[in-house]
Amino acid sequence: MGFEELRRRAEEALSRESPYGPPIDLSKYDLGNKLVTEATPSLTIDEVVKLGSDAASRLGLSKDSLTEASYVQLNEALLYRAVVEGLRRRGVVVMSVGEALKRFKWVRKYYWGLMDVGTDKYTAAVELYGGGRGYFIYVPPGLKVKSPIYTCLLITSDRTAQLVHNIVIVDEGAELNLITGCATARRVGGALHIGVSEFYVGRGAKLTFAMIHAWGKGIHVRPRTAVRVGDGGEYVSYYVIYSDVRSIQQYPKVFLGRDARYYTASIIVGSGKSVYDVGAEAVLKGEGSSAEVISRVVGRDESEVVARARIRGEARGTKGHIECLGLQLSPKARISSVPELVSLNEDSRLTHEAAIGRIAEEEIEYLMSRGFTEEEAKALILRGFMTVDVPGLPDATRRVIEQVTKMLSEGGGI
Amino acid sequence: MLEVRGLRVVVGGVEVVKGVDLGVGRGEVHVIMGPNAAGKSSLLAAIAGLRKYRVVSGKVLFEGRDVTHLPLDERARLGIALAHQIPPVIKGVRVRDLVTALIRKYGVGNSGSLASLLRVGELMDRYLFLGFSGGERKRLELYLASLQRPKLAMLDEPDSGVDVDSLSSIAEAIAELVRSGSSVLLVTHTGYVLEKLSKLCGIDYAHVMVRGRIVYSGLADEVVPLIMKHGYSGALRRLGVGS
Repeated sequence: MGFEELRRRAEEALSRESPYGPPIDLSKYDLGNKLVTEATPSLTIDEVVKLGSDAASRLGLSKDSLTEASYVQLNEALLYRAVVEGLRRRGVVVMSVGEALKRFKWVRKYYWGLMDVGTDKYTAAVELYGGGRGYFIYVPPGLKVKSPIYTCLLITSDRTAQLVHNIVIVDEGAELNLITGCATARRVGGALHIGVSEFYVGRGAKLTFAMIHAWGKGIHVRPRTAVRVGDGGEYVSYYVIYSDVRSIQQYPKVFLGRDARYYTASIIVGSGKSVYDVGAEAVLKGEGSSAEVISRVVGRDESEVVARARIRGEARGTKGHIECLGLQLSPKARISSVPELVSLNEDSRLTHEAAIGRIAEEEIEYLMSRGFTEEEAKALILRGFMTVDVPGLPDATRRVIEQVTKMLSEGGGI
Repeated sequence: MLEVRGLRVVVGGVEVVKGVDLGVGRGEVHVIMGPNAAGKSSLLAAIAGLRKYRVVSGKVLFEGRDVTHLPLDERARLGIALAHQIPPVIKGVRVRDLVTALIRKYGVGNSGSLASLLRVGELMDRYLFLGFSGGERKRLELYLASLQRPKLAMLDEPDSGVDVDSLSSIAEAIAELVRSGSSVLLVTHTGYVLEKLSKLCGIDYAHVMVRGRIVYSGLADEVVPLIMKHGYSGALRRLGVGS
């Protein structure tokens, strides 16, 4: 589909609401289609750190990890740093999507390759007003990138509409560990973030993707993600949100080829009057493919959380499991768990487990009998609850996640 | 160290401890024996301060301080540790995390030697008590209580449902606790651990509890062999305690 056709379809969809999540009035945000201002040469990474330090610190990211980031976007400005020289020489590409579309014609077939631009008004807005922002990452066949690539999307000013379109291609037999942090500075009252992500995991390739969200109570967030995992490939995703947010709604969809594997864990720590509608869908298209969709939800204050999960078993020998566990810490919080299994093949084995409750008094008392205060006991239990074993997660990613979990349980987040 | 005076304890409206007096001196080892449902575990739970065990009269003094109505975590921090008979499964909390938190709170002490005695190294990456065998559960529970470096270690049936190897480890670990200065108040209804413990560190006193009351207290060397040989009824008859 050409750019004109994409634009036409997007315009048609600009008033199309999403079936999930509260509607957002896009006219309240600054949607001006500014051109990409990337690699702003006047800003050093230290200046970026300074500008975005409040937001970055909320992600548990040190100055060092931000300095290591290959792609940083502050509000609408791209400030990506070049990928390290060694990786560039081996063929790894990191740049904005706009730049990639200009430089490589072959990227066009991946642009809106997994998702309809007219899915809803949010995908449409990204196409019409995104201005080519968002990261493009390509890892050539067989290359295993051991060190994680960091990308950071930070919002530091009000009324910002941060609209990004990300494309990641991990070619046949390659590996990539991607860590994305999205945050707002605490003082930002209202803003909008819409992120379209299209990830292509090639045959026998592996992508691990950790996304950490630290927004604010006036921020609406609408990620739109689709992933295709080739035969024998693997996609491991870890998602955590632990901040207030006006509303977030996302339901990433992952298509799996023959013997492909998908594992996802979402940790949602609700607070304030925030609305979280978060899910994951796996479509087991290839024989022998499998998926595990895990979620942990903590409901605090007056937060409202809907944890969705859907697995469609379409081929022989497919396996899928959903686990949705919720802890309700406040009588005014609301947690809904919506697991859905769809089998289209008699040889598909799909299961689910869902439970919502409060922390067992017996567990708190046991830890108190070891000398912990009630608060300490709850923090220990919560930290355990939020710590999910994600198989195949690289050590560097695991360390970032542990840092966030530690920050949550010790920093008074809970 | 510990003085219990006229303690009466109610659980769910039922009186389970009916006026108990008990004293444990510094460094002493006491054993409480008795048939099932005698109130032994309830007595330990009330001394530890578990919430559902409501003290309706009497006092618990620890190192001269009245702790009867002190919250259980404060009692623990004063030096009272309880090794629970059936500790709860806490899915999500790894043994390693709790051990680390306890060492941070109480210091390293002899945690290394106890860990090797109780063979808990292999359990570190597992969730607390999830899928544990009887022996694993008892060994770990004793280890966790010992990490509190307690002045008074109350051990609730550390010998029930364990294999011979675990029994031996448990006895040696209790002896190690005693050597490091802890007083021990041990509840058992089988008495399996006592013979070995007696050889390793000696047991000072034994108390027999029946239907919520301590009906006999004496030197362990006299009382325990009688119970092991004749059972509770036979032993009490020989000790001159009526039915």
